[in-house]
Amino acid sequence: MITAPTPEDVIEMLREEGIADLPAGFPAEGDLFAAGMDSMAVMQLIVVAEERFGAVIAPQDAGRENLGTPLDLAALIGRRMA
Amino acid sequence: MTCDVLVLGAGSAGLAAAVTAARQGASVILVERHGFAGGMGTASLVHTFCGLYLLDGDQPVLANPGFPAEMEERMRLATGSGPAKMGRVWVLPQHPVEFVRIADALIKESGVQVLYHTEALAARREGDTWHIDLAGRGGIFSIATKSVVDASGDAVFAAIAGAATATTDAATLQRPAYVFAIQGASEGESGLALAGRIVDGVRRGLLSKDSLGLHFRSSGRAGETFGTIDLSGTEDGGYDPLNPACLSALEIAGRGIAATAIDFLKQEAAGWSSAYISQWPVRVGVRESRRWIGRHILTAEEVLAGTRHADDIALATWPLEFRETNRGPKLRYPENGLAAGIPLGSLIPRDLERVFVAGRCLSCDHGAQASIRVMGTCFATGQAAGAAAAQAAAL
Repeated sequence: MITAPTPEDVIEMLREEGIADLPAGFPAEGDLFAAGMDSMAVMQLIVVAEERFGAVIAPQDAGRENLGTPLDLAALIGRRMA
Repeated sequence: MTCDVLVLGAGSAGLAAAVTAARQGASVILVERHGFAGGMGTASLVHTFCGLYLLDGDQPVLANPGFPAEMEERMRLATGSGPAKMGRVWVLPQHPVEFVRIADALIKESGVQVLYHTEALAARREGDTWHIDLAGRGGIFSIATKSVVDASGDAVFAAIAGAATATTDAATLQRPAYVFAIQGASEGESGLALAGRIVDGVRRGLLSKDSLGLHFRSSGRAGETFGTIDLSGTEDGGYDPLNPACLSALEIAGRGIAATAIDFLKQEAAGWSSAYISQWPVRVGVRESRRWIGRHILTAEEVLAGTRHADDIALATWPLEFRETNRGPKLRYPENGLAAGIPLGSLIPRDLERVFVAGRCLSCDHGAQASIRVMGTCFATGQAAGAAAAQAAAL
C-alpha cells in the first residue's frame, strides 16, 4: 500500500526526478514556480506523480493553487490517489 | 570575386561579424544558405534572445557593448517588448520576422555584400589568400579573400579546410528543438492547464510521449502563438546533426508531433477549436554539433568559476543550459554569479592563419558550449571575430 506523500516526500521527488532544482532547506510552503518550475516541468510532475503514487492529476487540477508549493502538491496527490 | 573578409553563415554570429568588419572598412561578403539572415532566430523560429544581459539584479544590464546592445535596442523598437526576468536570467523576446527585417537593414547600411542561397564546398590557401569554392544553383564559383570568419554553427570551414574539430558523443549532444507558429489559440486554454491537458492526452494514448515537452508562448503579435517541442534526437537511431538523413527524420518527427497535438487540442482544449498551424520552421533548431579546436578551449569549469583571461573579447552570461534529454533544461549557474570571459584564443583556430570563429562552434567543451551557444552571446563573439578578421585583412 502506497501512502500519501508528505511535503518533504514531494521535495525529494522533485529533486530526484530533476523536475525542480530546489535548494537545501526549501520550505513546505515555498513557491515552486519562483524556484524555476515551469509548464514543461509540470508535465513531468504529473507523469511522475502517477508513476509513483497512482495519483491521476486531471487538466482542471493543473493550477497554481494545487501545484504552487510542496504542501499544496502533497495534498493534491493525496486526494487523487486511487 | 574578391574581398577582405568572407563570413560563412548569416546567423546571429555571422551577421554581427559581417556588419562589424564592414563598419571597420573591410570589403565583406556574407555567405548564407537560406534566403534571409538570422539563423536559429529566424529559420528555426527561436523567439528569445538569451545571453544579452548579466545574471540576477533588479534591472536588466547589458553584458556586452556594441553590436549586441544595438541588436537589443533595434529589436525592442521593432516588437515594443522589453526584457523579462525568468528565474535568475533576463531574456528579450524577439520575433523572427522582425529579426529578418533588422538584418536586411544592417546589411544594407553597413555595405556588406550578401550571397544568399549559397553553400561553401572547398577551401585552399595560396600565399596570403584563401580561395573558397561556393555553390549556388547556377554552379560552382570561387571567391578569393584575405581572411575568413566561420560562423556556420557547424564548423563547416574547419571541415573543408581540413582543420581539427571536436564533437560531443551522440548520446550527450544537446537535443534539438522544433518550433512552429499557430494562429487562433491566443485566447484559449494556456499555461499549466494546457500542460495538464497534454499529459492527459498522453495518458489516454491520443498523443505520443514525445508530446510531453510541448509548450506554448505568445509571439507578442495578435493571435499568434509559438509552440516548442524538445525532440529526443533519436527519431532515426543515433542523433547526428550533421547527417541530412537524421535531420530529415527530425523535421518529419517535429511536424508529426506538432500536427497531432494541435488536432488534439482543437478537439479538447477550451478556446482552441479554430486553432491552426500557420508556419513551419525552415529547419529544426540544432543546439550543438561540430566545434573548432582553437588556441584556447573554453571549459565548463571556467564558465562556472567566472574565469577571466587576458585576451577576453566578450562575457558569457548565460548559465550552462543542458538539454541532454528532451525532459526540460538543467541549468548550472556560476558559483559566484559572475560572468566568465570568452578569450580571443577560443576564436582563433589552432593551425590556420587568418581564420576566425564565432558563434556556437567556437573552441570550447560541451559544457561551456551550453552557455555560449545562445544568440546574445553569438552577437558578441561574432562582433569580436569580425573585428579581428578585418584587422588581419588590413595587415
